[in-house]
Amino acid sequence: MNSVVQLFLTNFREFVRDRQALFWTIAFPIVFVGIFGIVLGGGDEGASYDIGLVIEDDSQEATVFAAILEEFDAFEISRGLAVDELEQLQEGKRSAVVQVPRGFGSALRTGTPQSLQIHYDASQLTTQQVIIPVLLRALDVADRAITQTRPVITAEFRTLQAEKLGYVDFVMPGLIAMSVMNTGVFGAIQMVSLRERRVLRRLSATPLSVWKLVGADLAFKVVVLLVSTAILIVTAVLVAKVKINVENLPSLAAVVVLGGAAFLAIGFFLGAFAKTEQGFFAIAQIVTFPMLFLSGVFFPLDGMPDWIRPLITALPLTYLTDAVRQLMVGGAPINAMSINVVVLVVFLVGFLGLAGRFFKYE
Amino acid sequence: MRPLIEISDLTKSYGSLHAVRGVSFAVAEGEIFGMLGPNGAGKTTTVEIIEGLRDRDGGRVSVFGLDPAKAGSEVKGRTGVQLQQVALYPRLRVREVICLFASFYDRQANPDELISLLGLEERRNARVGELSGGQAQRLSVALAVVNVPELLFLDEPSTGMDPQARRNLWDVIRGFKADGMTIVLTTHYMEEAERLCDRVAVMDYGKIIALDTPRNLVHEHFEQDAIEFSSTMDWSISELRGLDFVSSATAQGSEYSLFSTNVPGTMGHLLKFSDAKGLSIDGMRVRHATLEDVFLKLTGRTLRD
Repeated sequence: MNSVVQLFLTNFREFVRDRQALFWTIAFPIVFVGIFGIVLGGGDEGASYDIGLVIEDDSQEATVFAAILEEFDAFEISRGLAVDELEQLQEGKRSAVVQVPRGFGSALRTGTPQSLQIHYDASQLTTQQVIIPVLLRALDVADRAITQTRPVITAEFRTLQAEKLGYVDFVMPGLIAMSVMNTGVFGAIQMVSLRERRVLRRLSATPLSVWKLVGADLAFKVVVLLVSTAILIVTAVLVAKVKINVENLPSLAAVVVLGGAAFLAIGFFLGAFAKTEQGFFAIAQIVTFPMLFLSGVFFPLDGMPDWIRPLITALPLTYLTDAVRQLMVGGAPINAMSINVVVLVVFLVGFLGLAGRFFKYE
Repeated sequence: MRPLIEISDLTKSYGSLHAVRGVSFAVAEGEIFGMLGPNGAGKTTTVEIIEGLRDRDGGRVSVFGLDPAKAGSEVKGRTGVQLQQVALYPRLRVREVICLFASFYDRQANPDELISLLGLEERRNARVGELSGGQAQRLSVALAVVNVPELLFLDEPSTGMDPQARRNLWDVIRGFKADGMTIVLTTHYMEEAERLCDRVAVMDYGKIIALDTPRNLVHEHFEQDAIEFSSTMDWSISELRGLDFVSSATAQGSEYSLFSTNVPGTMGHLLKFSDAKGLSIDGMRVRHATLEDVFLKLTGRTLRD
């Protein structure tokens, strides 16, 4: 047991005395998350979107509709002519433009279904993810108010997630999952370095068992992971004003440890095939890079083409990102939490076994 | 007394390369046993099989009466190993590394005594990455004896040391022997082998080609002393061999060696010969034959080839 404590201390000393490791594991993710937070967030509270409203009909129904839209806190309504408002949209000064066509009121009175035109910039992710759903809900409310239908099923407007979750709330859990992956996979570089420097060879001449060596490494990485994740969450809350589910923090910590261990196991496995630190770095980049884009870190997976779905399903980061997002901000689930946990356990056990199978002292 | 190490017909191949081709020897308890040979001769492979670091293809190996392939953990616990070219944890301090390695063993030497034994007192809090070559070498020897081993393997222990540090290290190694350790020493330094080793095995191409005390090895192969000289001119080896009293002659670049049963007689002839041929001699000295000469005679190569 003493040897495990000594190895743990060795990892700790090597880590805190290595400025580069400190920077990449602690400082860099903070800067990364901080920049994302400043650019995207910074006061989600009362954030409003500029909506251009073009009323081309002078009926009472059109006025009521406009009044209802204006009541939504999330919208800053500017009225104007279609040409002007569309120009503002072009220039990015409007998030969307809603056009109420002539004959809107009279059509409603005769019971003819009416459609409104909503113009928006399809390249703006926030508009697609946040504004359109809210706008649709607003139309629904207005529709009922004007046509006087009494809906049998009503929905509490507050429960609409899109109102509360902005892109920053979406991406922060993604960045944390990404950081867990990087800390895990790239954390295995030390084992490669020990082999390259013939330290593993030297250790193999002592009675020390491989499992104590790996166990001490794993234990230290878990501590690093928990500390760095905690710092990231605090940064996300302070800088990006992300609202987190505090009651889920213990489960979140458990998922981070599980995910980190699984990715470290993957790193150990990859490390068995790398002769040098640089070689390992290249392999690890190739493995981790596609996951950044195919596991829902930066974008929702809904928009992905069907042919790529099997790949998405095969990537461990997909499950970690989903689990972290659900626990941290209550994001819409892709999988049940139990599936996420089971898949990560399978990756952990599977790759640990493979890493042990291919482990080489030199 | 039963030997501490007993090896017979040991073989090991890497693919088509036959690294060890039937090696047999025994090491008695308490002796310093030297292994000499050029790189690739099979010394390291042989030693690593004894240490339990490598599997063997064939033959029998017994260490402390145990087979290291089966009882690796016990053999490793009672053995100390110093390896070449290990870059230990660079940001750890000297004393921290010693405590780390000590923690792997049941039996542990006092870290501070080890530090002073190997003259590292002033560097005890220095980072391993900041040590000079000689200091790092002394640290690796300290780590090899951190478990007070019964059997110690040293691989080129004095590499990178200045002559004074080398002599100090030899004293330390003799101290280990006096404490009852059995030592297997792999080296390129002839002087190191001659001064330290009780017996020396000369290996080449995966086989032991000679095994005896250093003194016997030299006397067996050379009854004579050597005349050495350098010359920038081309001498004919066969003509040198034809000089009176010369038993053998070799050339290494511009360095020539003649072994003679009558040194003054040969010298006279050599000077006359050089006058007659118009060949100049830049420097001449006489010395006793060494293990290096034995090695050159046995293999046709120097140890550093």
